[in-house]
Amino acid sequence: MSSMAKAPLLEVKDLAIEVSTRRGPAKVVEHLNFMVKPGEALGVVGESGCGKSITMLGMMGLLPPGARVVDGTATLEGRDLLKLSNRELRKVRGGQVGFVFQDPMTSFNPVMTIGDQLIEPLLYHRAMSKADAWKRAGELMRLVGIPGGEKRLSDYPHQLSGGMRQRVMIAMGLACDPSLLIADEPTTALDVTIQAQILDLVKDLRARLGMAVVWITHDLALVSGLVDRIIVLYAGRIVEEADVDDLYKRPSHPYTIGLLGSLPRLHGPEGRRLASIGGTPPEPGRRPKGCAFAPRCSMKIARCETEEPQLAPLPGSTRHRAACWVAGTVSVEAAA
Amino acid sequence: MAVETLAAPASAADIEKHASLWSDAWHRLLANRLAMVGLAVIVLLILVAIFGPWMTPYDFLSQDLNARNELPNAAHWLGTDELGRDVLARVIYGARTALIVSLIVTAIAVAIGVTLGAIAGYAGGPLDSAIMWLTDMTMSVPNLLLAVVINASLKPPLTAWMDRMYQATLNPIWRNSLIVDFVLVFGAMALVSWPAYCRLVRAQVLSVRSRNYVTAARALGLPTRVILMRYIVPNAIGPLIVAVSAGLGAAMVLESAFSFLGVGVNPPAPSWGNMISDGLRVWRTYPHLLAAPAAVLGIATIAFSFLGDGLNDALNPKGRK
Repeated sequence: MSSMAKAPLLEVKDLAIEVSTRRGPAKVVEHLNFMVKPGEALGVVGESGCGKSITMLGMMGLLPPGARVVDGTATLEGRDLLKLSNRELRKVRGGQVGFVFQDPMTSFNPVMTIGDQLIEPLLYHRAMSKADAWKRAGELMRLVGIPGGEKRLSDYPHQLSGGMRQRVMIAMGLACDPSLLIADEPTTALDVTIQAQILDLVKDLRARLGMAVVWITHDLALVSGLVDRIIVLYAGRIVEEADVDDLYKRPSHPYTIGLLGSLPRLHGPEGRRLASIGGTPPEPGRRPKGCAFAPRCSMKIARCETEEPQLAPLPGSTRHRAACWVAGTVSVEAAA
Repeated sequence: MAVETLAAPASAADIEKHASLWSDAWHRLLANRLAMVGLAVIVLLILVAIFGPWMTPYDFLSQDLNARNELPNAAHWLGTDELGRDVLARVIYGARTALIVSLIVTAIAVAIGVTLGAIAGYAGGPLDSAIMWLTDMTMSVPNLLLAVVINASLKPPLTAWMDRMYQATLNPIWRNSLIVDFVLVFGAMALVSWPAYCRLVRAQVLSVRSRNYVTAARALGLPTRVILMRYIVPNAIGPLIVAVSAGLGAAMVLESAFSFLGVGVNPPAPSWGNMISDGLRVWRTYPHLLAAPAAVLGIATIAFSFLGDGLNDALNPKGRK
C-alpha cells in the first residue's frame, strides 16, 4: 500500500489526561503515542474505562467537566489540536474530523428532524445555502444506504430504528468530507446483524471516500475485517500494537491473549467453558507499582511487580510491539 | 412471538402519523379527558374575564340596599351581599383580577427564574453557587410573611411618593391607589414565586447539557449559540410549561390568600380572596356569600392542576407506561 509511506495524518505524542476524583487528580491516560496515516484504519481496543473514548474526546476538546489534558501533543495535518483556540477547534470538529458515537438512541436531538440536524455541519462549515445543504443531505442519506433516501429527512429521530440512526450519524460525521472519522464503539448498542451491516458500510465508505478511520471498540473479533492496525489499551497505556493479522497470529501481551481467549469459538470441544480474565482493571490513581496488568496476569514474574515494562518491538519484528517483560520470551518459546 | 411481530408494524405506523414532538404531545393531551376538562374550564374563565362585564346587568360596585343579603334568585343568580351588590357580578370581576394577577405574576416570576436558572445551570461554578444561595435564602422565608413584610414596609413610602407626584403634576393617575396595590401585590408575589422556576430551569439545563446529543452537536463543531438555542433550550422547556400551568393556579390561590389576609388587592376592587374573607364572617347566616367565591376559586385551581398534570403526561410519554 502506497499510503503507508506518507506522512502521518494524526500523530499523538505523550498524551496524558487527568480526571478529578475524590482522592484528588488521577491520570487516566498517560504516555500515549500513536499515529494514523492518511486512509489508514486503526482499531483501538480495550475494556471499559481503559481510556479509549477519553483520549479521542481529549484530542478534540470535548472532555467532560473535571477532566483535562495535562501533557502531550496531538498533531492533525501539521497543527497541534491541543494548542488551537476554541474557534479553530470547532472548525476541525465536523470539518476535518467526523465523529460517530456509541448510542444512536440518545445522540440525536429529539425535537429536530434528522434533516435539520444533518444539514447543520454543512451550514456552519461549508456555509452552504439551506437548499443546497438539503440536497447534499439527501445524497448523504443515499450514500449511507437509508431506504427512501431524502424522503426520510423530514422524519424525527424516534421514527428511525437504531441501525438507521447509526447510519444517519455516520452520514453526519461524513457530511463535510473529513479526512478522519472517529467511531466510538458505534456498534455496541446495536443487534449483531446490524453491527455487521454498519461495519460493512464503514468499510465500503472508506474504500470509496478514502478517509482514515479510528474505530474504538472492546470487541477484538468485530474489527478484524475492517482495520489495518490495532492498538490495545490497558489502564490508560498502550500494551500492544501490531498489524491486525500479526496480532491475531501472534498475540503477545497476556492481556491481548486473554482478550482473544475470551472470544467464543465454533470449533473445539463442546461444553467447554469460555475463558475470562479474572479481576478488574485498577482504578484511576491506584496503579500498582510495576505493570498495571500484573495483579490479573497468569504469566507474571517477580520483575512485573516492581518495574514497569515499556512498549518495545518483539523479536523479529519492528511493527509489532508489546509492553511486557515476558511477551518476547513466551512467544519465542512457543515458536521453538 | 407472533403477537409481537404483529404489534410492531401497527405501532410504527401509529408513530408515523404524528410527525413532531409537539403535535404528538397535543394528541396525547386531547386524549386525556381530565386535562381537557381543565382546559375547557380555563378557556371559559378567560372568556368570562374578558367579556364578563357584558354578561351581567349589574356592576360590581352598584349597591341595592333594598336587596341586601339575598339568597340566590332569578334576579341575582348567586344572591347579593350585605351591601346589596350582585355576587355573580363580583365573582366575574374577581375572575378578571385573579387572571391578571396570576398571569402577570407568573410572567415576572418565570422571567426572573428562567434567566437566573439558565445562567446558573450553564455557567456553573461560583456564579451557580451564588444564585442557588440567593434562591435558598428566598425560599427559606415563609411566603406570606415575606409578602406582609413587603407590603407593610413599602406601602406607606410608595403612597407618599404617589401623593407627591400628584401634588407636583396634578395628573389624576397618581391618585389611583389601585396601582400601588397591584405593584405591591405583583412584586411581592413574584418575589416569592421565582425560586421554584429558577431551580427547575437550572436542573433542566444541567441535565440537558450533559446529554449525548449535546456532545454530538459539539463534535459537529456547532457554535455555542446554536447549541444553546436549538439543542438545550427546546429540550429543557417541557417541564417549565408544566410548571407554569400549575403555577398559574398557585398564583391565583396566593392572590386570594393575600387578599384574605388583607395584604392583597384592596376593596372595593373585587377579588375572590376578599369575598371569601368577607363571607367567612357571616357564613352561618348567609352561606352563599362564602360558597360562591370559594367554589369558583376551587374549580379554577383544580382546572389548572388537571391541565398541568395532563401536560406533564403529554410531554413525558415515557412516564406514563
